Amino acid sequence: MSEILTINNLKVWFHTRRGTFKALNGVNLNLRKGEVLGLAGESGSGKSTLGLSIMALLPSNAIIVRGSKIILKNRDYLKYFELFPEEKIDRKFKIKKNQKIMKHIRDFLAKIRGKEVSMVFQEPMTALNPLLQIGYQITEALLAHSSINLAKRILSRINLTEDDVREILKIVKSSKNVEKDLNEFSKLKKLDGIEDQVLYILNRKDLSTIRKERMIYSLKEKMKNPLTMSYLKKIAENKSIGIYRFLNRIPILKRYLKGVLIKEGYRKAIELLAMLNIPHAEKVVYMYPHELSGGMRQRVSIAIALANNPDIIILDEPTSALDVIVQYQILQLISELKYKLNISFIFISHDLSVLAEVCDRIAIMYGGRIVEIGPIDKIFYESLHPYTKGLLRAIPKISKDIKTIESIPGTVPDMRNPPNGCMFHPRCPYVMDVCRNKVPKSIEYSKDHFVECFLYGE
Amino acid sequence: MKLWLYIIRRILLIIPTLIGLTIIVFILIHVRGNNLIIAEYLNPHLTGAARDYAIQQLYQRFHLNDPLFIQYFYWLYQVINGDLGLTRTPIYSGPVNTALALFYPNTIMLALVSSILIWIIGIPIGVWSAVKRDSVFDQSTRVATFTLYAMPAYMVYLLVLIIFAVYLKWFPISGAVDPLLLQGVSWYVNGISYPTHIIFIDALLHGDINIALNSIWHFILPSLGIALGGVAGIIRLLRSSMLEVLDQDYIRMARSKGISESEVINIHARRNALIPAVTSFVYGVAGLLGGVVVAEVIFNIPGVGYWTVQALLNNDAGGILGSTLIFGIILVTASLILDIIYAALDPRVRY
Ligand SMILES: Nc1ncnc2c1ncn2[C@@H]1O[C@H](COP(=O)(O)OP(=O)(O)OP(=O)(O)O)[C@@H](O)[C@H]1O
Ligand SMILES: [Mg+2]
Repeated sequence: MSEILTINNLKVWFHTRRGTFKALNGVNLNLRKGEVLGLAGESGSGKSTLGLSIMALLPSNAIIVRGSKIILKNRDYLKYFELFPEEKIDRKFKIKKNQKIMKHIRDFLAKIRGKEVSMVFQEPMTALNPLLQIGYQITEALLAHSSINLAKRILSRINLTEDDVREILKIVKSSKNVEKDLNEFSKLKKLDGIEDQVLYILNRKDLSTIRKERMIYSLKEKMKNPLTMSYLKKIAENKSIGIYRFLNRIPILKRYLKGVLIKEGYRKAIELLAMLNIPHAEKVVYMYPHELSGGMRQRVSIAIALANNPDIIILDEPTSALDVIVQYQILQLISELKYKLNISFIFISHDLSVLAEVCDRIAIMYGGRIVEIGPIDKIFYESLHPYTKGLLRAIPKISKDIKTIESIPGTVPDMRNPPNGCMFHPRCPYVMDVCRNKVPKSIEYSKDHFVECFLYGE
Repeated sequence: MKLWLYIIRRILLIIPTLIGLTIIVFILIHVRGNNLIIAEYLNPHLTGAARDYAIQQLYQRFHLNDPLFIQYFYWLYQVINGDLGLTRTPIYSGPVNTALALFYPNTIMLALVSSILIWIIGIPIGVWSAVKRDSVFDQSTRVATFTLYAMPAYMVYLLVLIIFAVYLKWFPISGAVDPLLLQGVSWYVNGISYPTHIIFIDALLHGDINIALNSIWHFILPSLGIALGGVAGIIRLLRSSMLEVLDQDYIRMARSKGISESEVINIHARRNALIPAVTSFVYGVAGLLGGVVVAEVIFNIPGVGYWTVQALLNNDAGGILGSTLIFGIILVTASLILDIIYAALDPRVRY
């Protein structure tokens, strides 16, 4: 499998009045196409910081140390920025200049955000804007990166002929691989976007076959006014929209320009929500966040993350705030999506038992480093690092007659003055002299199973 | 949308408040004793039996011999029919409702112009100083608003007056219009302009562009002064609520979609931050409509505040109670409008 994301020696620190918190201290990580990578570790180990770094959404007091590399689809973005070297980050550190760099990174990488990488945050209750309709919040993500697709979808309905519809119905009725044939059909006829709309109708469970056919018939739409048409064509062909930008500022005209795209966004939003098993999606898009339950809101967040078909989705504890049943449903949904779409996931959780349900590989984080990473079986049954073993023991087990929860003795280190050598040595039951002085290197103990610990070499 | 149903319900709900208000004003009238109520109407030249007879007549006319609660209904009937009693001050003597009709237009114009100024100055500055937190712009805004906020309103007005009228001489010192221009003007009689009582509009209606421009020139300084006095509060409120909003999860979520920073600010942050500021703004406008008392006195503008002060100085009960009643009604209406604005702005408000 090819790698879609490689992180090398990533160091992210936070400058605060109470000192510099060294949240990430040289993270090395790779993410492969189509896999779900679990990221586990105690609170404060830097999981969210890692996610935010990939999203280029770090707060302005964050410092990315020179030498850090985030390589997304073979592009090393950070190399364009004049980052501060480690030794310059001291008391006389130029905060203002660093804030400018961080803002620069945020603005420069806006184009990948939501399009190549998106993120679902922990708190579904507060992640959505209370004043905006669900549909609008999804549409906004679509408009940011996929207005071409939206325009093409509208045009495809307008350009649809009677013959085309008949052909589509034939494919639907007789084809063995409807999805593939529809794709080919839309390419051939230059009706980009029609295939998704047909598939959405076909996948609906609440309609009879006859109703579905009738809906496919009624996909055909009348020509819109000339102004709208020329605007849509400009957008669909990805041409510069010069004066339309200005016309869009005039409220009456906006209805016929951007308004048309927004309406299409709602349409696409309904399809996305339906894909995520949200009942009555066509009503939900007009609702406001407070009208939905936590689980529903988390699905909406996932829909927003999925909107532009990103390569990577980072899920930051997506289930922690939900009750167990909803948690299970969301996990189911993520496993489903993993098979349906070719998306790589980074699933952050402090709960290994949750990760066990969905992940292909698991990375264990401690003190801003990945101390062990490997395929899920190896992490669970052949774990190497003393910290991983401790975490596994901390999962509540209910065996025949004993209930045991063991916690790891000691506390997470103060990240302002992290311990020398191995971060874990103050809490490690197998601590040796070397652990106190040297930082262990990553060792490939068995195939694809890496560990940073002196117990296993050097 | 069931918004209109909500509005109707809300309007019905203010009726008890209004009844309460009229009862309080009624009681205030009556604690002063019956003689004071009829004093305004009594011909002071009468003596002896004629005077007693006149008093009898007035007692009958105002039903003062009936039980108090019946009197209330008589009085309420009178008020509803627009009869608020008499006022006697050096600047105006006659029915209170005529006085209100004369003085209110100037106040409304002043209040509206300065509210608009507060809104269009306050929002961008408040939003920007939060967005550009700790920048030079933010620091200077904070110093300026803090200074304005700490100063009593009359000092702001006096400062404006001293700087722009006395020192720079850009604007006239006082009055609503230059009295020389009004000499011999047919629609201006005894210090009152007709038909709307707002000199600016009346001048336009009669085609006297000169006078209209002159009145605008006179209105700029008072409006600016009032706006400066009121804008600091809005800016400070907006800045802090904006900072709070910018820290919310949904802002990070909005950024994670890759939309532009200006969309994050304008669509996601600003509207949320405005909700708390609206309350302070609407009550601010209501306060201004209740008579920008100090400003009108300092700038010598014949508005309702100016008249109320005259009524106070002259112990003129009719004027004081009339303006109390009207101000009460304005506040009740403001809270109604505020509820409607909330219902329209915030989908979480249930109706
Ligand atoms: N904005 C910030 N300013 C200062 N320090 C921060 C900031 N954000 C995170 N940190 C620090 O960075 C370290 C890592 O935080 P992070 O949120 O990444 O941990 P986490 O593994 O996601 O924990 P949790 O399980 O609690 O979400 C912590 O020590 C935290 O105090
Ligand atoms: Mg976290």
